[in-house]
Amino acid sequence: MTALAALALWGLGVDYALAQAAFVATWAIAGLGVVLIVGQCGQVSLGQGALLGLGAYAQAVLALRGVPAPLSLPLALALGAAGGWLASLPARRLGGLYFAMSTLAFALVVEEALVRWESLTRGAAGLAVPPLMLGGWVADTSLAQALVACVALGLAWLACRRWLASRLGRAWRAVREDEIAAAAAGIDVARAKTLAFVLGGGLSGLAGALYAHWIGFVSPEQFGLMLSFELLMLAFIGGARHLSGALWGALVVVALPQGVSLAVEHLPAGLAGAAGIETALFGAVLVVLVLLRPGGLVGSR
Amino acid sequence: MTAETLIQVLASGVATGCVYGLVALSFVLIYKATGAVSFMQGELLMLGAFVVLALHEAAGLPLAAAVVLGIAALAAFGALLERTVLRRTLGPAHLTALLLTFGLGMVMRGTVGAVPAASHAMHRLPLPFAGESVQWGGVALAAEHLAVIAATGLLAGALTLFFRRTRAGLALRACSENSDIAALMGVSVAGMHTLAWSLGAGLAAVAGVLLAPVTFVHPNMGLVALKAFPAAVLGGMASLPGALAGGVFLGVVEALAGLVLPEGAKDVVPYLLMMAVLLLFPGGFAAGLRGRP
Repeated sequence: MTALAALALWGLGVDYALAQAAFVATWAIAGLGVVLIVGQCGQVSLGQGALLGLGAYAQAVLALRGVPAPLSLPLALALGAAGGWLASLPARRLGGLYFAMSTLAFALVVEEALVRWESLTRGAAGLAVPPLMLGGWVADTSLAQALVACVALGLAWLACRRWLASRLGRAWRAVREDEIAAAAAGIDVARAKTLAFVLGGGLSGLAGALYAHWIGFVSPEQFGLMLSFELLMLAFIGGARHLSGALWGALVVVALPQGVSLAVEHLPAGLAGAAGIETALFGAVLVVLVLLRPGGLVGSR
Repeated sequence: MTAETLIQVLASGVATGCVYGLVALSFVLIYKATGAVSFMQGELLMLGAFVVLALHEAAGLPLAAAVVLGIAALAAFGALLERTVLRRTLGPAHLTALLLTFGLGMVMRGTVGAVPAASHAMHRLPLPFAGESVQWGGVALAAEHLAVIAATGLLAGALTLFFRRTRAGLALRACSENSDIAALMGVSVAGMHTLAWSLGAGLAAVAGVLLAPVTFVHPNMGLVALKAFPAAVLGGMASLPGALAGGVFLGVVEALAGLVLPEGAKDVVPYLLMMAVLLLFPGGFAAGLRGRP
């Protein structure tokens, strides 16, 4: 791992590596949200990308109107949490696929709303996002961005550890293993699921807000169904049963597209120019990983 | 708005709805029989349209033969995928199947997109009825819409016969109801899973061929399958006739929404409907009417 990091530093430069680290930490925050919902509580969420989008747009719109970050970041987080609550609402009484369907619907509705509400979001044209400002300090270098992202990840991690060790975490695992048995043991199953979505949504909102600053530009198609799947992949590849799975998954998801495009360059000339090759390779890697490591990279199973 | 325009809009809604319904049917068929959620039905639809196109234009087969051969090829492809990849995800973890089928869909979409002839030019399947219209009083109905409706009707009839009159159909139904008891009665559950994925792929290919005269054939045409999920939920998720009815209902509602609601609202209507149904009738419309959850 350290050898790999050293190689990346040597090959690509410190600045590039720090920028990538900021993205890895940000994706890991979003990944923690998926780990809570999917890995701990056992619910399938296909709307995580939209929750990230809510956070990103809240942050972008507020930052453009001059709202300071200590106020706008909690608001973005709250909007993500509210979105998670809303997405889980229609399927409260049912689990499994119905949850997946309602979160899928939520994601598509949010994406469409971001395109159509042009007075606020400028529609498909997108919004340019100014760098993050904390007090008088502007996070416009890679080092500052990586620092902020890592601090946020650390806080999110501590919060998640607390939740997992609490009554709530035990309730989630009980719901994951057997809903009926959990209910018989006196656990309010609907409440446990809703809380998983609210907390997971909040983490997604926070990740979205940071992501909007790092990338400097938000547009609706960044937060479509594809992102929801990428986040699901992230948690699944890393290992959804463990918090550290989010970090490993984030590393893979950030590194994979770059690895794939490197590999594409080395393909024969006739193939390299074709647009679909990257998608196909990405899909193939996903299939192979799911088949070979069904428990994720950190999973024991 | 005159009655004639209304009928024309309704006819096009029913025709689009039939395509949604067929994809929903394939989705529900696989879900009921194997418990797996397939996110690659749209890509199978797209692949079906391209295979038929390739057989007709590149290999020079007559259109009817290309259609039959293409659909058979997709059914075989579905069986092959089940035998090699999807079989390993048996069990209650539908998340595994979901991710696997999504990955496989990406591979299919990427591979077709990487073929220059497929992605760089616009294609249409030259079906004989495309572009013509049928005059009936003051109403002009597009021939391709009528053909889609007729083909869906025929297919629904054929599937009903298959499920009611053949041993394989009976075995597949038994397996969907309770695979443990079906296995005890001598049904090969693994074989039925292969059959379900194969039928599902074949149905998606049929939907692709039917959609081809209405839209262009292109690598992203599979996106239409996203409408299959609300259709399946509207139909109660576990009912084959319900899935088809849900699809047709959705197509009609969407067409009407396009008529009366502002632009863009049309695309969200299916998902808002789906969320409302999940909220009000957690078992779908049919179960809501029967009064059981």
